[in-house]
Amino acid sequence: MSQLRPGREVMVIGVGLHPFGRFRDKDLASLARDAVVAALKDSGVPWKDIPVAYFGHVYYHGMSVGETALGPLGLTGIPIINVENACCSGSSAFWQAYWGIASGMFDLALAFGAEKVPSGPVTVTAADSPERYIGGDHMMAGYALRARRYMAETGAPPEALAQVAVKARQIAAMNPFAHRKDTYTLEQVLASRLVADPLTLFQCCPTSEGAAAAVLCAKESLGQFGVDAGRAIRVAAATLTSGSYNGKGSDHSAFSPYRTAQAGQQAYEMSGLGPEDVDLVQVHDAATIAEMQHLEALNLVPPGEGWRATLDGRTALGGAIPTNTDGGLLAMGHPFGATGIRMVHETVTQLRGEAGPRQVPGAQVGLAQCSGAGDVTTVQIFTK
Amino acid sequence: MTQPNRNKPQSVDSRRLKLTNDAGTQGVLLGSCCRQCGICVFGSASFCQSCTGGDLATVELSGQGILYSYTIVRVPPAGWPGPVPYILGQVELSEGPHVLAEIVDCPETGLEIGMAVVLALAPVKTEGSEAVKVVYKFRPQLTTAGASKARLEAQRKEKP
Ligand SMILES: [Zn+2]
Repeated sequence: MSQLRPGREVMVIGVGLHPFGRFRDKDLASLARDAVVAALKDSGVPWKDIPVAYFGHVYYHGMSVGETALGPLGLTGIPIINVENACCSGSSAFWQAYWGIASGMFDLALAFGAEKVPSGPVTVTAADSPERYIGGDHMMAGYALRARRYMAETGAPPEALAQVAVKARQIAAMNPFAHRKDTYTLEQVLASRLVADPLTLFQCCPTSEGAAAAVLCAKESLGQFGVDAGRAIRVAAATLTSGSYNGKGSDHSAFSPYRTAQAGQQAYEMSGLGPEDVDLVQVHDAATIAEMQHLEALNLVPPGEGWRATLDGRTALGGAIPTNTDGGLLAMGHPFGATGIRMVHETVTQLRGEAGPRQVPGAQVGLAQCSGAGDVTTVQIFTK
Repeated sequence: MTQPNRNKPQSVDSRRLKLTNDAGTQGVLLGSCCRQCGICVFGSASFCQSCTGGDLATVELSGQGILYSYTIVRVPPAGWPGPVPYILGQVELSEGPHVLAEIVDCPETGLEIGMAVVLALAPVKTEGSEAVKVVYKFRPQLTTAGASKARLEAQRKEKP
């Protein structure tokens, strides 16, 4: 924990989102730029004042896409850093922006992310990897292994998993930025095509395109940049962990919620807050099973109770711990580089009280968690 | 002088599977055990994943384990050379490490978390060449009665 020595207080002062979905005639840099322009407008800070930018993305679209995205806004000569950290690429960019300010190096920072994920099952390794012949590199099959084991250990029925997807779509129906806005029933989720049993197609997040951006500012500098302090949201914690030995070895660990517990515990310690303080949460629901396991790992529901919490409505918008309040990966879709900052966007929007029909009344504390290949996990806690 | 046989079966990953005959029908899984802290991981390694020490022994693993979890993959990843669907197992080896591999010689109805499994080797044709990769898989470790029952079920399933 010695490396987590909080420095200056950091606020998110602007957020922006490009809708998630499919945008065949728009390149990655253009998606990213639109989100940045929206976030800058929301913050009230002009581009020429931004001293540093971090850009999260995974798939190759040529070199230095961050520079390509920002160049048309004006060549101001600032450091622009491209960040690849699997599904945590966006949240890793955010983490760097946070520390850039907390450390005292910058007063402002831009974190943004974008992705155009190809269709079909997502794999982690390169095309010449032995995994191609072994058959284990299959993101959703990994989640399916977790689901089967979880069901055996906790007695969770298939309906509990499916309910996560039903809830996601119900919320997304109220979110114009979501990739999938049509709702469906428990029966429809269970009857959709099997991808890797017990996971059906509607229990797996769509591969998507989209972009998200956030502008961060030192709390002590809000006045200097004329920022509306009433809409600024405090970053109470930002943690990032990668794989640590768990006794099982590398083949298993990529799918373990074990990391979420570690990064979450660090975030609770850094913020001085606990699970009981959290009013709403965004977790990495790439598949239905993941939502309940991350909630348990973050101590937001008791161990083994994630499925009951789901069926009881505790995780719904009106429940005790509203979860994935914009539709999550399951309905928003999952453009890797954008997802982590999309979660920041939603949490900030909720804490500002600007979430419209999706608003969690009186929300004061929000948590966001992302996990990715390489056992990368990020957690942030935000306060009003 | 004999020409090297280009089509001689090769291990899919020599750090994990060592073939012990030229035909590629026999082999052992490799592990690494740390002489400092005692932990054992799947595959050969130079440094310990737990304590980071560099004093490791390459060991031959027993190839026996239990099925920790499984799934039947119906939408395969790009490049998968086998039939679909296929059973993907998460096997907990008796030495401790977990391994993801295909489960073969087992009807879907015969799958059960906790069942004993053993190493099975299978040749897989590589794309665009005659070369053969030998891939580690697992199959149920059956009693004689169980074996004939599973064979019967597998045969019944194959018939239309
Ligand atoms: Zn060791």
